[in-house]
Amino acid sequence: MKVILAQHGGQAAGINLNRPPKVIDSAALDEPKAAELKRLVAAASSAPSSAASSGKARDEMSYTITIQDQGRETVLSQSDTTMSADFAKLRAWLQRYPKN
Amino acid sequence: MFSNHCRCINCITPPHILKKLLENSDSRIRDAALRTLLTTSRLRGERTIRGLLASAALVSSQGRRTISDCGNSISLPAATIGRTEEGPTSTDESVNRAFVGLGKTREFYKEALDRDSLDGNGMRLNGYVHYDASYNNAFWDGSQMIFGDGDDVLFTDFTKSLDVIAHELTHGVTEFTAGLRYHKQSGALNESISDVFGSLVKQWAATPKQTADQADWLIGAEVFTPDIGADALRSMKNPGKAYNNSTLGRDPQPDHMSKYVDMPDTDAGDHGGVHINSGIPNKAFYLTSIGIGGYAWQAPGQIWYAALQASTSTTDFQEFADTTYLKAGQMYGSQGAEQQAVLSAWKEVGIRVSATLVLAGTTARMRRPMADISNGRDEDQADVARKIEQLTGQLATLSKQVANLRSKPH
Repeated sequence: MKVILAQHGGQAAGINLNRPPKVIDSAALDEPKAAELKRLVAAASSAPSSAASSGKARDEMSYTITIQDQGRETVLSQSDTTMSADFAKLRAWLQRYPKN
Repeated sequence: MFSNHCRCINCITPPHILKKLLENSDSRIRDAALRTLLTTSRLRGERTIRGLLASAALVSSQGRRTISDCGNSISLPAATIGRTEEGPTSTDESVNRAFVGLGKTREFYKEALDRDSLDGNGMRLNGYVHYDASYNNAFWDGSQMIFGDGDDVLFTDFTKSLDVIAHELTHGVTEFTAGLRYHKQSGALNESISDVFGSLVKQWAATPKQTADQADWLIGAEVFTPDIGADALRSMKNPGKAYNNSTLGRDPQPDHMSKYVDMPDTDAGDHGGVHINSGIPNKAFYLTSIGIGGYAWQAPGQIWYAALQASTSTTDFQEFADTTYLKAGQMYGSQGAEQQAVLSAWKEVGIRVSATLVLAGTTARMRRPMADISNGRDEDQADVARKIEQLTGQLATLSKQVANLRSKPH
């Protein structure tokens, strides 16, 4: 399973445009980490946004998490003001993971 | 039956019956119905006015500040109070910086622009610090301000930047005035307005206060960690030159319409490049300020603020440029140094103020010397010049009305 995190917008939107997405291949992880990632992905995939966008937020960041697993691709997109707790946990895990 | 008082007809007669009675063949009945309708309208109007007075009489909250601590979570309801308006200084410097920054922004709007907080009615100012973990951002969530601590690799605590604080709060001002839609050109203008007033707050709050040529015109210079070789997040003086290194890449902001960046209207496309193309109006404001000289929150800031208040949700760069030109003429004199600086600034970034506006101004200038000569032909020319100015003003008003109609959902 490959999980790809892309970040958009915010005060550093120009910088975020230049930064490549972070790609994590579960095959390169040890077993406990791979299992943890799988759990987080499953939870985030089944959790809807915590709130609909008000359309009034300015300079918030948004995140696209793409999951490629066994020939299937799932794309999750949420923002600072709309993300579910499970999406936030997955995002935080991906952000903490060392860069490729 | 039809006394002068007509109390029965003044009581509970429904309006549709009164209107029918206006067509009655008996003039006394018509008069009584008319008096009742007029009295009803007057009373309704008075109730409306009383309602308006009642709300105006509410004491302004005067922008009272509350800073809360998110404790590195993303839950705002779970945040703890860090500092209140009359409360003691906090032991947490992020809390104190946010408190001071919100206060300076509030004072700027009051003293420089005579505006009572973001909504003009003393709206409370709420800030949340230590949002999330290693959060490299600060944002306005639609009603309050959120600050991250940074990851200590690229960014440090966002409360350290007064212009970023004022930038975010100014999004609130924009929402209560023009309501510029957050995409494409109106969105880039929205971002630019926040950079403009963000920078002005910093210049105004500096000790001593900074003139336009003393200011650095940088946004977010303080948020980078020392090891990152970058001037700032954005440069209003030199869009595209705020940073250029292997870690951050090159600053993508354009400084001219010929370099406008067409981006998708999506999250990934920065809603059509609102943080990217803001470089163009940013540079126009910088050039206007340098062209006029002195303190940029005076004439340049007043012109931009007036133009913001005259704009709508769909105002684009061209319309905003035209409005700044009009406002400069109205506020500081047609063809004056201020209006010329505005015209020249927009031209330098590739936007030409609409010809009809410039022509109206030129005609007005031509009228002044001819006013000394009194003959019928000169008065005719003066009339023509006045009519052109009137028509130009009407055209601008009509354009705004059409834009307003377009922006309403059908």
